[in-house]
Amino acid sequence: MDSKETTEKLATNHLEASWVHGVLEPEQLSTAKQPFGRQKMSRTTVFILWALRVYVILMAFLIAWQITGPQVLHLHP
Amino acid sequence: MSNKPLDIDILVPTLTDEDVKRAMDRKRVHLLRNGRGRNRLVWLLWLLIGPGILAMLGENDGPSMISYATTGAKYGIGFFLPFIVLTFAMAFVVQEMTVRLGAVTKRGHAELIYTRFGSFWGFFAMGDLIIGNLLTLVTEFIAVRAGLGFFGVPPVLAVLGTFLIIIGVALSRRYWTWERITMAFAAFNFLFVPVAIMTHPVSGQVVSAFFTWGPLPGGVTAGFILLMMSNIGATVTPWMLFFQQSAVVDKGYTVADIHQGRIDTGLGALFAATTAIATVLATTPLFLHHVDASNFQGADFAHALVPFVGNVGATLFALGIFEAGLVAALTISSSSAYAFGEVTGRSHSLNSSLREGWPFYAIVIAAAGIAAALVLIPNAPLVYIVLIVNVLATLSMPPAIVFLLLLVNDREIMGKYANGRLANFFGIAVTLFLICAGLIYGVTVVFPQLIPV
Repeated sequence: MDSKETTEKLATNHLEASWVHGVLEPEQLSTAKQPFGRQKMSRTTVFILWALRVYVILMAFLIAWQITGPQVLHLHP
Repeated sequence: MSNKPLDIDILVPTLTDEDVKRAMDRKRVHLLRNGRGRNRLVWLLWLLIGPGILAMLGENDGPSMISYATTGAKYGIGFFLPFIVLTFAMAFVVQEMTVRLGAVTKRGHAELIYTRFGSFWGFFAMGDLIIGNLLTLVTEFIAVRAGLGFFGVPPVLAVLGTFLIIIGVALSRRYWTWERITMAFAAFNFLFVPVAIMTHPVSGQVVSAFFTWGPLPGGVTAGFILLMMSNIGATVTPWMLFFQQSAVVDKGYTVADIHQGRIDTGLGALFAATTAIATVLATTPLFLHHVDASNFQGADFAHALVPFVGNVGATLFALGIFEAGLVAALTISSSSAYAFGEVTGRSHSLNSSLREGWPFYAIVIAAAGIAAALVLIPNAPLVYIVLIVNVLATLSMPPAIVFLLLLVNDREIMGKYANGRLANFFGIAVTLFLICAGLIYGVTVVFPQLIPV
């Protein structure tokens, strides 16, 4: 790349960067996001999350049992 | 002067194609927001609508429309009309939170769950999403096959054609283009409205149903509870949370756009509730003429409706089923790709170039491709998937809403945009409602003798 080409590309990139930065908020730039830290969860929150996880697993088994088990309900309403 | 080439990236901030395309969209919003003119606010709304409407109309998908059609054929005009309004009100409460989360944090739902709660809980949330999305995508292709089957289109052609449309729209490599094409397809969800009008519903009965929540022919039975679960699953599902928040971020929403985001979500709920109710009304003649629709699938409803709405009405119904499958396939495959990119830290935008975002586009194509392939396997037990997909969505929703409530109450990331008391009240009420519905369903499965079949 010769110096003229470099200068032109720099100018174009600066121009593009300045209007993009003018329009977008810093966090909207795909490469500029800073990761958030971990949230400290209370014991109650962890308990609720575990209870709901158990709920989902139990219900998934119930669905499986309903469609494959010996006493098949009228699954289609 | 040295002959060594200059590293331009060091001298200017790195911009990706995604950034430039998003900035082009945002520039139009800025110009309208700062400009003058009578129709300025209308145009601003036009630019900013999309994620909410697509989440809501995307959820009026193949199994949902079959669920509403079954509701009309089984119960006619009555309890389920106000119930559908209630479920979409719940959907609005939940989806509005995703708008705020996306606009304030500029991050997708999967990314927030992973970064704020860690990979352990993130793994569960993603597991629910991936399983739910894959099963739902399969049902969308079943709907596409059924809808186009009404016109004699061979299954292979219907499924492959839809798959190619999904690839084509995604590879537009521009969020705005993808969104507007998908919204144009989603407008065909309104095809159910003229079909409903053709059945000449008695307006007095419709109005009365909204005020009395009745009648409910046959009372509370196991079939009623399953249909209720199915109708709930037809309006609130985990993929909607992930999709709308990711789409809000990809579209470039800021806190200034939250108001328009709420309108967008409200319009989506209104449109989706209207077409859902229209579908119930459209199949009510089957209830009135005692047509047994217990084992009907997509195109069966269209065929059965011919005596009541003629060939034109049946054609519109079949097209509506096709549209429902197509739009949901577009949105759900994108939702999977967004979540994958957010969790792995790879590019996750429909604005990405192919070079930057190839893994994102690969997931869109792979998600749709796997579902399409499964649908084409001869003798695959697809009927079970259609039957359980909405129930499964309802059951996996409470944990998803709890994650949502935790995030939207997190003042470290949400600041003054965190939930207020009213939003929390409604959010918790929706969660409890869904848990209760799930438990009642569980009791009817384990103790079927407690309730009439």
